[in-house]
Amino acid sequence: MRKVTRLALAVGLFAVSFGTWAADKEIVIYMQMGGTQGDASTLARTNGARAAAAANHVKLIEQYSKWDQQTMIDQFKQAMAAKPDGIEIMGHPGETAFAPLVDQAEAQGIIVTSGNNPLPGIEAKYQTKGFGYAGADLYAGGYLTGEAMVKAGLKAGDEALVYDIWHQEGRSRSSQGVYDALAKAGLKVDKLDVSAQVDSETSLAIPILTAYIQAHPNLKAIGTQHGNVTANLPKVLQAAGKKPGDIICGGIDLSPATVSAIEQGWISASFDQVLYLQGYMPVMQIVWTKRYLVPGLHVNTGVGTVTPQNVASIKPLIKEGIR
Amino acid sequence: MSRVLGMLGRLEGLPVAVVLALLYVAFMVFAPTVFTGYRIYMSFFQTVPPMLVLAVGLTFVITAGEIDLSFPAVVALSGFVFTWCFETFGVGWPGFVLAIVAGALVGWVNGFLVARLRVPSIMATLAAQFFWYGVTILAAGGLQIDIGTVVGTPVHTLFVGRLFDVFPLQALWSAGLVVLCWFVLNRHRFGQAIMFIGDNAEVARVMGIPVEATRIRLFALNGALAAFAGLLLTLEINVFYPTQGQGMLLPVMAAVFIGGTSIAGGQGALAGTFFGMYIIGSLEAGVVATGIGGYWVQLVEGLVMAASVILNVVIGDQGVSALSSTARRWAVGRR
Amino acid sequence: MAESDPPRTALRVVDVDKYFGSVCALKTVNFDVGRNEIVGLLGDNGAGKSTLVKIFTGVFPPTSGELYVADRKVDTASYSVKTAHALGIETVYQDKSLGEKQALWRNFFIGRELTYPLGFLKVREQKRIANEIMVNTIGFRGRGIGVESRASKLSGGERQGVAIGRAMHFEASLIVLDEPTVALSLKEVRKVIDFVHKIKEGGKACIYISHNIPDVFEVADRFVVIDRGEIVAGIDKGKTSLKELDEFLLEYSHGLRDRAQP
Repeated sequence: MRKVTRLALAVGLFAVSFGTWAADKEIVIYMQMGGTQGDASTLARTNGARAAAAANHVKLIEQYSKWDQQTMIDQFKQAMAAKPDGIEIMGHPGETAFAPLVDQAEAQGIIVTSGNNPLPGIEAKYQTKGFGYAGADLYAGGYLTGEAMVKAGLKAGDEALVYDIWHQEGRSRSSQGVYDALAKAGLKVDKLDVSAQVDSETSLAIPILTAYIQAHPNLKAIGTQHGNVTANLPKVLQAAGKKPGDIICGGIDLSPATVSAIEQGWISASFDQVLYLQGYMPVMQIVWTKRYLVPGLHVNTGVGTVTPQNVASIKPLIKEGIR
Repeated sequence: MSRVLGMLGRLEGLPVAVVLALLYVAFMVFAPTVFTGYRIYMSFFQTVPPMLVLAVGLTFVITAGEIDLSFPAVVALSGFVFTWCFETFGVGWPGFVLAIVAGALVGWVNGFLVARLRVPSIMATLAAQFFWYGVTILAAGGLQIDIGTVVGTPVHTLFVGRLFDVFPLQALWSAGLVVLCWFVLNRHRFGQAIMFIGDNAEVARVMGIPVEATRIRLFALNGALAAFAGLLLTLEINVFYPTQGQGMLLPVMAAVFIGGTSIAGGQGALAGTFFGMYIIGSLEAGVVATGIGGYWVQLVEGLVMAASVILNVVIGDQGVSALSSTARRWAVGRR
Repeated sequence: MAESDPPRTALRVVDVDKYFGSVCALKTVNFDVGRNEIVGLLGDNGAGKSTLVKIFTGVFPPTSGELYVADRKVDTASYSVKTAHALGIETVYQDKSLGEKQALWRNFFIGRELTYPLGFLKVREQKRIANEIMVNTIGFRGRGIGVESRASKLSGGERQGVAIGRAMHFEASLIVLDEPTVALSLKEVRKVIDFVHKIKEGGKACIYISHNIPDVFEVADRFVVIDRGEIVAGIDKGKTSLKELDEFLLEYSHGLRDRAQP
């Protein structure tokens, strides 16, 4: 080939690849994962987000707030300061706290979207700019779990307990759903608050629930929407001398311990938020909005409960941290 | 009479034991269905032992005038080492031994930082806490490890099995450890060295105590104990949580101080630590059982802690006789 | 010299230097104490008295120089407090002889505990011996103080008594007293002086370090003055009077002398 042609070819190839590369430039996303790295309510979300990031040339910066509302706000401010392409937040701190901050971020051209806990007002305002939601409708999910518990063998007049973080409104929406479902079916439902101590070291719940069960010998149901409490329920029941089925239990998420518990019949229903989607979707949302101006998508990931009947097929995925 | 009182007063940890007894009496009165049965006590014997073991180690450290904030990370690390080994080899003993070695290693590094590099223990162990916790999460890939199959293996039965099908063995192990450590602290050369170092390290040094070497041994011991606590925890719940141990820092420290060990160092009240840990461990359950709304728990906890700590300071090392002589003087002054 | 002859000196220090980093604390120090001699070591604060004492009591080694205990050369690299104790050198410090929060019986034996094979303390025996020392050597009677009492319960003078009694019990051949009478009442100072006399009567040696010149003058046979890390004077008691000694030291502290021999 002649020298000029070769040169032209080289320049052409270079231009094409540069163009593709430029068009496909890395997107930087700050994402709120929720609890602590690796815990049951956070892991699958992290894995989903990382999978989406790896497949789409995204630099993912993970933020862990231990579910603390103030930390979530602080982390959003830190994210804003870094001027990324997009930020994903959770609704725990509430709309009043977030609204001015989101306004600021949007004004700077940062794409903001949400997950796990909704911010309906802000979502409506910035939907066209890519503000979406990927999460379970927490209340509906809790309600579903409560109904599944009733179906597993409860009747009107039975005593039930819902044990969750009642002192934080943002974290008790789904347990309120459980409560209402049980109440609607005619049960006498009591609430007990998960203290900060138990929240950080859940095995401490064992004596507390044992005490409660002993103090209420007619207790027929325990519901919770706290991931680690759910995982500890079998131990609690064993310590109280109960057999599977004596007390109908309902919970959330799918840690290995919870899955075993479902298999053995200790837990009758666990609400599955499909955390993997809660990680994958927000990353995709920001990518699509950034590249193709796609408006915000509202995706409900809370689509079912895992029961002793369907647990066998889901197990292998859980082991990998996907479900 | 005053001689008996005097003797009683010098009994280590008596004020705390009294608070514990009063607490249980109150629980029995207000929640008889729960506290006159055996199940609730068995559940305490299930959950308090790991924290008690941590508190024993911490008592030694504080007696020496230091602090160790890294034990929660060791609880996680030892849990991980054990569950990983169990999953990989199928038997428990290798993991058990490796976990303790890992804990001792973390402790040794802490000791080296404190004794040879002269980093204040609060800074060194705080950094260690973040570092080793990070190592654990990294190694575990953030995943929980479920080892339900460990139930029934020799390691499991020996340490967390149920005596007579009911009594959790870890309670015996941890109580036995308290007794052994009491003798080490109060009747052994090492324990005496710890007390002198905590009292006045310069005195210890000029009296011929190898201060630096003793400090390193101290932290290594605490690391090994923390690893044992992590093993008891992991064996009991059959799951390794990456976050395990994180919530134990404050309750364990509270137990040591309620127990009467002084933050200034030089003296360690292991008996007090024992009673203090059971107070902290049973408080919330007891309050819940009495039907007082859950929000009251923190308040009651604070009150009980304040009462214990004040009692410890007032009685000090004079024993109950100080209290009765104070009372007598007050009565005389009033007349 | 035949092996069975008693040593001429309890302690001899030859050409000792001590540097802390680049700071020189002691320079070419030559110092000795006779077998049954009381030497008063005098000098201003920071002159190097404490450093010198720490070297021959085993707390840390000299940077260079030789050390002889009972005329036998000592390996400075392996010399420790324990070794010093074994060789009969005991120290009584101004305020770091006892662990204040610790029981007296522990204080007597700290650093050289009597133990069973695994390291567990022979508590009863130690308490018994401690009690003997308290009653016989030191002369404690009643007043609610026993071997179980914490050191903090004792007055300053009583604590010094305990520390000296401890040194005497362990049959020290050389007792170093480092500022032993600071903050003591007159009666208690007297007690300390009496102890030093007892040391002399017992055929042992003593190094007495103090700022209180009259006290030093009373007990010592010889005075050694140290200034800015160097020995500047060695004066026998017979060759001077209290007044002369006082003036000599005063001139030094005002910088009117500069390392000249008297």
